[in-house]
Amino acid sequence: MRKLVLVSAIAALVVPLVVQQASTQGQTIAAQRRAGPQQGPIPRLPDGTVDLGDGVWTGGGPINDIETEGGLKKGEIEALLLPSAKAILATRDVTQEPHNRCLPMGIPRVTPFPYRFVQNYTHRRPTHMFILQEGNIHSYRQIFMDGRKHPPELDPTWYGHSIGSWEKDTLVIDTVGYNDQSWFDRRGFPHTEQMHTIERWTRLDKGRMEHRFTLDDPGAYSKPWTVRFMATLGPPGDELMEYICTENNQYGVFTIPGWADKFNRPN
Amino acid sequence: MRTKLAILLAGWSLLWLAPAAVGHHAIGGEYDPNKPVTLKGTVTRIEWTNPHARIYFDVAGPDGKVVNWNVELAARSALARQGWTQRSLNVGDTVTVEGILARSGVSMVNARSVVLPDGKKVFSGENQ
Repeated sequence: MRKLVLVSAIAALVVPLVVQQASTQGQTIAAQRRAGPQQGPIPRLPDGTVDLGDGVWTGGGPINDIETEGGLKKGEIEALLLPSAKAILATRDVTQEPHNRCLPMGIPRVTPFPYRFVQNYTHRRPTHMFILQEGNIHSYRQIFMDGRKHPPELDPTWYGHSIGSWEKDTLVIDTVGYNDQSWFDRRGFPHTEQMHTIERWTRLDKGRMEHRFTLDDPGAYSKPWTVRFMATLGPPGDELMEYICTENNQYGVFTIPGWADKFNRPN
Repeated sequence: MRTKLAILLAGWSLLWLAPAAVGHHAIGGEYDPNKPVTLKGTVTRIEWTNPHARIYFDVAGPDGKVVNWNVELAARSALARQGWTQRSLNVGDTVTVEGILARSGVSMVNARSVVLPDGKKVFSGENQ
Protein backbone atom coordinates (compact mmCIF):
# COMPACT_ATOMS: atom_id res chain seq x y z
CA MET A 1 0.00 0.00 0.00
CA ARG A 2 2.80 2.31 1.04
CA LYS A 3 4.64 1.49 -2.16
CA LEU A 4 1.56 2.29 -4.19
CA VAL A 5 1.24 5.67 -2.51
CA LEU A 6 4.89 6.40 -3.20
CA VAL A 7 4.61 5.38 -6.84
CA SER A 8 1.46 7.45 -7.23
CA ALA A 9 3.15 10.44 -5.64
CA ILE A 10 6.14 10.16 -7.96
CA ALA A 11 3.85 9.69 -10.95
CA ALA A 12 1.85 12.73 -9.92
CA LEU A 13 5.05 14.75 -9.92
CA VAL A 14 6.57 13.36 -13.09
CA VAL A 15 3.61 12.87 -15.42
CA PRO A 16 2.69 16.56 -15.73
CA LEU A 17 6.32 17.36 -16.53
CA VAL A 18 6.44 14.71 -19.25
CA VAL A 19 3.10 15.85 -20.66
CA GLN A 20 4.22 19.46 -20.63
CA GLN A 21 7.40 18.55 -22.46
CA ALA A 22 5.52 16.47 -24.98
CA SER A 23 3.14 19.34 -25.66
CA THR A 24 5.93 21.68 -26.77
CA GLN A 25 8.13 19.00 -28.30
CA GLY A 26 7.88 19.01 -32.05
CA GLN A 27 6.12 22.34 -32.07
CA THR A 28 7.89 24.93 -34.11
CA ILE A 29 9.18 28.14 -32.58
CA ALA A 30 6.61 30.04 -34.61
CA ALA A 31 3.74 27.93 -33.23
CA GLN A 32 5.00 28.29 -29.65
CA ARG A 33 5.26 32.06 -30.12
CA ARG A 34 1.68 32.20 -31.30
CA ALA A 35 0.56 30.35 -28.16
CA GLY A 36 1.24 33.58 -26.24
CA PRO A 37 3.78 34.92 -23.79
CA GLN A 38 5.27 32.73 -21.10
CA GLN A 39 3.78 32.99 -17.60
CA GLY A 40 5.68 33.35 -14.35
CA PRO A 41 7.52 35.78 -12.12
CA ILE A 42 10.23 38.22 -13.21
CA PRO A 43 13.58 36.40 -13.15
CA ARG A 44 16.18 38.18 -11.04
CA LEU A 45 19.92 38.19 -10.54
CA PRO A 46 21.27 37.40 -7.03
CA ASP A 47 21.39 41.14 -6.23
CA GLY A 48 17.71 41.53 -7.12
CA THR A 49 18.20 43.25 -10.47
CA VAL A 50 15.88 42.10 -13.24
CA ASP A 51 17.61 39.40 -15.30
CA LEU A 52 17.17 40.09 -18.98
CA GLY A 53 19.50 37.28 -20.01
CA ASP A 54 16.95 34.46 -20.07
CA GLY A 55 15.95 34.57 -23.72
CA VAL A 56 15.37 36.51 -26.90
CA TRP A 57 12.70 39.18 -27.37
CA THR A 58 10.47 40.21 -30.24
CA GLY A 59 8.23 43.24 -30.62
CA GLY A 60 8.70 46.25 -28.38
CA GLY A 61 8.79 48.83 -31.19
CA PRO A 62 7.09 49.99 -34.37
CA ILE A 63 7.29 48.25 -37.75
CA ASN A 64 4.63 49.72 -40.04
CA ASP A 65 3.09 52.69 -38.23
CA ILE A 66 4.57 54.24 -35.10
CA GLU A 67 1.38 56.11 -34.24
CA THR A 68 -1.13 53.27 -34.15
CA GLU A 69 1.33 50.56 -33.08
CA GLY A 70 2.59 52.90 -30.35
CA GLY A 71 -0.84 53.35 -28.81
CA LEU A 72 -1.66 56.74 -30.35
CA LYS A 73 -4.35 57.81 -32.77
CA LYS A 74 -3.48 58.26 -36.40
CA GLY A 75 -2.22 61.81 -36.91
CA GLU A 76 -1.15 62.50 -33.32
CA ILE A 77 2.58 62.53 -34.07
CA GLU A 78 2.02 63.96 -37.53
CA ALA A 79 0.34 66.98 -35.91
CA LEU A 80 3.59 67.73 -34.07
CA LEU A 81 5.81 67.76 -37.15
CA LEU A 82 7.58 71.05 -37.82
CA PRO A 83 7.24 72.31 -41.41
CA SER A 84 10.76 71.15 -42.33
CA ALA A 85 10.08 67.63 -41.06
CA LYS A 86 6.69 67.58 -42.71
CA ALA A 87 8.40 68.37 -46.01
CA ILE A 88 10.81 65.43 -45.52
CA LEU A 89 7.94 63.04 -44.73
CA ALA A 90 6.12 64.16 -47.87
CA THR A 91 9.06 63.12 -50.08
CA ARG A 92 9.35 59.61 -48.62
CA ASP A 93 7.84 56.45 -50.03
CA VAL A 94 8.30 52.88 -48.90
CA THR A 95 10.76 52.00 -51.66
CA GLN A 96 13.33 54.41 -50.17
CA GLU A 97 13.44 52.77 -46.76
CA PRO A 98 17.06 52.52 -45.58
CA HIS A 99 16.55 49.00 -44.24
CA ASN A 100 15.59 47.78 -47.71
CA ARG A 101 19.25 48.37 -48.49
CA CYS A 102 20.41 46.50 -45.39
CA LEU A 103 21.01 49.67 -43.38
CA PRO A 104 20.07 49.74 -39.67
CA MET A 105 16.46 50.08 -38.53
CA GLY A 106 17.40 52.71 -35.97
CA ILE A 107 15.64 53.27 -32.65
CA PRO A 108 12.92 52.45 -31.54
CA ARG A 109 12.04 50.40 -34.61
CA VAL A 110 12.00 46.60 -34.54
CA THR A 111 11.67 43.81 -37.08
CA PRO A 112 9.91 40.45 -36.85
CA PHE A 113 13.31 39.07 -35.85
CA PRO A 114 14.43 38.77 -32.21
CA TYR A 115 17.03 40.63 -30.18
CA ARG A 116 18.80 39.78 -26.97
CA PHE A 117 19.90 41.85 -23.99
CA VAL A 118 23.38 40.91 -22.80
CA GLN A 119 24.54 42.31 -19.50
CA ASN A 120 28.27 42.63 -19.00
CA TYR A 121 29.88 42.87 -15.57
CA THR A 122 33.22 43.03 -13.89
CA HIS A 123 33.36 41.44 -10.43
CA ARG A 124 32.55 44.89 -9.03
CA ARG A 125 29.76 46.34 -11.14
CA PRO A 126 27.90 46.35 -14.44
CA THR A 127 29.83 47.86 -17.33
CA HIS A 128 27.69 47.58 -20.48
CA MET A 129 24.40 46.35 -21.78
CA PHE A 130 24.49 45.10 -25.33
CA ILE A 131 21.39 44.56 -27.41
CA LEU A 132 22.21 42.01 -30.07
CA GLN A 133 19.88 42.26 -33.04
CA GLU A 134 19.32 39.34 -35.37
CA GLY A 135 17.90 41.42 -38.17
CA ASN A 136 17.51 43.59 -40.17
CA ILE A 137 20.50 44.13 -39.84
CA HIS A 138 22.68 41.81 -37.80
CA SER A 139 23.95 44.49 -35.45
CA TYR A 140 24.22 45.55 -31.83
CA ARG A 141 23.58 48.47 -29.54
CA GLN A 142 26.08 49.37 -26.84
CA ILE A 143 24.72 50.94 -23.65
CA PHE A 144 27.13 52.18 -21.02
CA MET A 145 25.98 51.06 -17.56
CA ASP A 146 28.99 52.37 -15.60
CA GLY A 147 27.57 55.76 -14.70
CA ARG A 148 29.38 57.82 -17.33
CA LYS A 149 27.72 60.85 -18.97
CA HIS A 150 27.24 61.63 -22.65
CA PRO A 151 30.31 63.32 -24.15
CA PRO A 152 29.70 67.03 -24.88
CA GLU A 153 30.25 66.61 -28.62
CA LEU A 154 29.45 63.56 -30.68
CA ASP A 155 29.78 62.75 -34.33
CA PRO A 156 26.33 61.46 -35.29
CA THR A 157 25.76 57.71 -35.67
CA TRP A 158 22.81 55.41 -36.45
CA TYR A 159 22.49 54.20 -32.84
CA GLY A 160 23.87 57.25 -31.06
CA HIS A 161 25.51 57.28 -27.62
CA SER A 162 23.53 55.38 -24.98
CA ILE A 163 23.82 55.42 -21.20
CA GLY A 164 21.71 53.13 -19.07
CA SER A 165 20.59 52.67 -15.48
CA TRP A 166 17.99 50.77 -13.50
CA GLU A 167 15.01 52.43 -11.82
CA LYS A 168 13.54 49.54 -9.82
CA ASP A 169 12.46 47.02 -12.50
CA THR A 170 12.85 49.48 -15.37
CA LEU A 171 15.92 49.67 -17.57
CA VAL A 172 16.27 53.31 -18.61
CA ILE A 173 18.32 54.04 -21.73
CA ASP A 174 19.13 57.65 -22.55
CA THR A 175 20.52 58.28 -26.03
CA VAL A 176 21.83 61.29 -27.96
CA GLY A 177 24.23 61.65 -30.88
CA TYR A 178 21.98 60.16 -33.53
CA ASN A 179 22.33 60.79 -37.24
CA ASP A 180 19.12 61.65 -39.13
CA GLN A 181 19.05 58.58 -41.38
CA SER A 182 16.69 56.05 -39.84
CA TRP A 183 12.90 55.95 -40.30
CA PHE A 184 10.54 55.24 -37.41
CA ASP A 185 8.19 53.19 -39.59
CA ARG A 186 7.25 52.43 -43.16
CA ARG A 187 5.54 55.78 -43.47
CA GLY A 188 8.94 57.40 -43.04
CA PHE A 189 8.53 59.56 -39.93
CA PRO A 190 11.77 61.56 -39.77
CA HIS A 191 14.04 62.95 -37.08
CA THR A 192 17.10 65.18 -36.90
CA GLU A 193 20.49 64.97 -35.25
CA GLN A 194 19.00 66.88 -32.31
CA MET A 195 17.00 63.81 -31.31
CA HIS A 196 17.20 62.78 -27.65
CA THR A 197 15.43 59.56 -26.68
CA ILE A 198 14.59 57.93 -23.38
CA GLU A 199 13.61 54.27 -23.46
CA ARG A 200 11.98 52.77 -20.41
CA TRP A 201 11.97 48.97 -20.56
CA THR A 202 9.87 47.52 -17.72
CA ARG A 203 9.69 43.78 -17.31
CA LEU A 204 6.13 42.96 -16.26
CA ASP A 205 6.53 39.22 -15.75
CA LYS A 206 8.41 36.27 -17.26
CA GLY A 207 7.04 36.70 -20.77
CA ARG A 208 6.33 40.41 -21.26
CA MET A 209 8.24 43.68 -21.17
CA GLU A 210 6.75 47.11 -21.70
CA HIS A 211 8.72 49.68 -23.68
CA ARG A 212 7.81 53.33 -23.20
CA PHE A 213 9.71 55.46 -25.67
CA THR A 214 9.94 59.23 -25.26
CA LEU A 215 11.41 61.39 -27.98
CA ASP A 216 12.48 64.99 -27.81
CA ASP A 217 13.63 66.38 -31.15
CA PRO A 218 13.26 70.16 -31.38
CA GLY A 219 14.56 69.92 -34.95
CA ALA A 220 11.54 67.92 -36.14
CA TYR A 221 8.70 68.01 -33.59
CA SER A 222 7.03 70.89 -31.75
CA LYS A 223 7.10 69.03 -28.43
CA PRO A 224 8.24 65.69 -26.96
CA TRP A 225 6.02 62.66 -27.45
CA THR A 226 5.75 59.18 -25.97
CA VAL A 227 4.72 55.87 -27.50
CA ARG A 228 4.28 52.50 -25.82
CA PHE A 229 4.98 48.98 -27.06
CA MET A 230 5.01 45.45 -25.68
CA ALA A 231 7.90 43.04 -26.16
CA THR A 232 7.50 39.28 -25.77
CA LEU A 233 10.05 36.73 -24.57
CA GLY A 234 10.70 33.97 -27.09
CA PRO A 235 9.79 30.36 -26.22
CA PRO A 236 12.48 27.99 -24.90
CA GLY A 237 14.79 27.05 -27.76
CA ASP A 238 14.28 30.33 -29.62
CA GLU A 239 17.79 31.63 -30.19
CA LEU A 240 19.33 34.31 -32.35
CA MET A 241 19.97 33.00 -35.84
CA GLU A 242 22.35 34.15 -38.52
CA TYR A 243 20.84 36.90 -40.67
CA ILE A 244 23.22 38.41 -43.17
CA CYS A 245 21.11 40.98 -44.98
CA THR A 246 23.59 41.59 -47.77
CA GLU A 247 23.86 37.86 -48.52
CA ASN A 248 21.11 37.85 -51.12
CA ASN A 249 19.37 41.20 -50.99
CA GLN A 250 17.63 41.75 -54.31
CA TYR A 251 15.33 44.48 -53.03
CA GLY A 252 14.06 46.60 -55.90
CA VAL A 253 16.92 45.83 -58.26
CA PHE A 254 14.73 44.11 -60.83
CA THR A 255 11.27 44.48 -59.37
CA ILE A 256 10.85 48.26 -59.24
CA PRO A 257 11.13 50.20 -62.47
CA GLY A 258 14.06 52.64 -62.24
CA TRP A 259 15.08 51.56 -58.73
CA ALA A 260 18.61 50.50 -59.60
CA ASP A 261 19.26 53.82 -61.31
CA LYS A 262 17.95 55.73 -58.33
CA PHE A 263 20.08 54.06 -55.68
CA ASN A 264 23.11 52.61 -57.40
CA ARG A 265 24.15 55.71 -59.26
CA PRO A 266 27.47 57.08 -57.98
CA ASN A 267 27.08 60.39 -56.13
CA MET B 1 4.32 39.26 -74.70
CA ARG B 2 1.63 36.66 -75.32
CA THR B 3 2.95 34.61 -72.39
CA LYS B 4 2.82 37.66 -70.17
CA LEU B 5 -0.71 38.40 -71.24
CA ALA B 6 -1.77 34.83 -70.57
CA ILE B 7 -0.23 35.00 -67.13
CA LEU B 8 -1.92 38.29 -66.41
CA LEU B 9 -5.27 36.90 -67.51
CA ALA B 10 -4.72 33.87 -65.31
CA GLY B 11 -3.94 36.33 -62.56
CA TRP B 12 -7.15 38.25 -63.07
CA SER B 13 -9.17 35.08 -62.84
CA LEU B 14 -7.56 34.48 -59.46
CA LEU B 15 -8.35 37.90 -58.06
CA TRP B 16 -10.86 36.41 -55.69
CA LEU B 17 -7.94 34.63 -54.03
CA ALA B 18 -6.07 37.85 -53.30
CA PRO B 19 -5.63 37.54 -49.54
CA ALA B 20 -4.52 40.19 -47.09
CA ALA B 21 -0.92 39.02 -46.98
CA VAL B 22 0.36 42.45 -47.85
CA GLY B 23 2.06 43.18 -44.53
CA HIS B 24 5.34 41.71 -45.65
CA HIS B 25 8.06 44.30 -46.14
CA ALA B 26 9.22 43.00 -49.51
CA ILE B 27 5.85 43.70 -51.02
CA GLY B 28 6.30 47.38 -50.22
CA GLY B 29 6.67 48.84 -53.67
CA GLU B 30 8.15 45.71 -55.23
CA TYR B 31 5.25 43.37 -55.88
CA ASP B 32 1.71 44.23 -56.87
CA PRO B 33 -1.03 42.67 -54.73
CA ASN B 34 -3.42 43.36 -57.60
CA LYS B 35 -1.49 41.05 -59.91
CA PRO B 36 -1.92 37.54 -58.50
CA VAL B 37 -0.54 34.67 -60.55
CA THR B 38 -0.35 30.88 -60.46
CA LEU B 39 2.60 29.17 -62.11
CA LYS B 40 3.62 25.52 -62.39
CA GLY B 41 7.12 24.37 -63.18
CA THR B 42 10.30 22.51 -62.24
CA VAL B 43 12.64 23.76 -59.53
CA THR B 44 16.10 24.58 -60.89
CA ARG B 45 17.73 26.27 -57.89
CA ILE B 46 17.15 26.89 -54.20
CA GLU B 47 18.78 29.78 -52.35
CA TRP B 48 18.49 29.27 -48.60
CA THR B 49 19.42 32.84 -47.74
CA ASN B 50 18.52 36.12 -46.04
CA PRO B 51 16.85 38.56 -46.26
CA HIS B 52 14.74 36.20 -48.39
CA ALA B 53 14.99 32.59 -49.36
CA ARG B 54 14.36 32.09 -53.07
CA ILE B 55 13.58 29.32 -55.47
CA TYR B 56 14.00 29.50 -59.21
CA PHE B 57 11.88 27.34 -61.47
CA ASP B 58 11.29 26.72 -65.16
CA VAL B 59 7.77 27.48 -66.34
CA ALA B 60 6.55 26.68 -69.83
CA GLY B 61 4.31 29.35 -71.30
CA PRO B 62 1.31 28.60 -73.53
CA ASP B 63 3.63 28.94 -76.56
CA GLY B 64 5.96 26.29 -75.14
CA LYS B 65 8.71 28.78 -74.38
CA VAL B 66 10.35 28.05 -71.03
CA VAL B 67 11.03 30.96 -68.71
CA ASN B 68 13.04 30.71 -65.49
CA TRP B 69 11.13 32.49 -62.71
CA ASN B 70 12.61 33.93 -59.50
CA VAL B 71 10.35 33.23 -56.51
CA GLU B 72 10.75 35.27 -53.34
CA LEU B 73 9.93 33.50 -50.07
CA ALA B 74 10.10 34.69 -46.46
CA ALA B 75 13.45 35.16 -44.73
CA ARG B 76 15.44 31.98 -44.23
CA SER B 77 15.35 32.54 -40.46
CA ALA B 78 11.56 33.02 -40.47
CA LEU B 79 11.12 29.80 -42.46
CA ALA B 80 13.45 27.96 -40.09
CA ARG B 81 11.30 29.04 -37.13
CA GLN B 82 8.35 27.42 -38.94
CA GLY B 83 10.31 24.18 -39.19
CA TRP B 84 11.44 24.35 -42.83
CA THR B 85 14.94 23.58 -44.06
CA GLN B 86 16.62 23.82 -47.42
CA ARG B 87 15.96 20.10 -47.72
CA SER B 88 12.18 20.65 -47.60
CA LEU B 89 12.30 20.97 -51.40
CA ASN B 90 14.65 19.60 -54.03
CA VAL B 91 15.92 20.73 -57.38
CA GLY B 92 13.86 18.83 -59.96
CA ASP B 93 10.65 18.92 -57.90
CA THR B 94 7.52 20.10 -59.66
CA VAL B 95 5.80 22.90 -57.79
CA THR B 96 2.80 25.15 -58.21
CA VAL B 97 3.48 28.66 -56.99
CA GLU B 98 0.78 31.14 -56.12
CA GLY B 99 1.92 34.68 -55.62
CA ILE B 100 1.95 38.23 -56.88
CA LEU B 101 3.96 39.66 -59.74
CA ALA B 102 6.83 42.15 -59.66
CA ARG B 103 5.78 45.69 -60.56
CA SER B 104 8.49 45.98 -63.22
CA GLY B 105 7.12 43.07 -65.26
CA VAL B 106 10.21 40.82 -64.92
CA SER B 107 9.72 37.12 -64.26
CA MET B 108 9.68 37.46 -60.48
CA VAL B 109 6.96 36.56 -58.03
CA ASN B 110 6.46 36.96 -54.30
CA ALA B 111 5.07 33.60 -53.22
CA ARG B 112 2.01 33.09 -51.09
CA SER B 113 2.17 29.34 -51.43
CA VAL B 114 4.42 26.68 -52.91
CA VAL B 115 2.65 23.35 -53.42
CA LEU B 116 4.06 19.94 -54.34
CA PRO B 117 2.14 17.62 -56.72
CA ASP B 118 0.76 15.62 -53.77
CA GLY B 119 -0.82 18.78 -52.39
CA LYS B 120 1.74 19.30 -49.63
CA LYS B 121 2.51 22.97 -49.03
CA VAL B 122 6.12 23.89 -48.36
CA PHE B 123 7.60 27.12 -46.97
CA SER B 124 4.31 28.36 -45.56
CA GLY B 125 2.38 27.46 -42.43
CA GLU B 126 4.09 25.00 -40.12
CA ASN B 127 6.21 21.96 -40.82
CA GLN B 128 5.96 20.08 -37.54
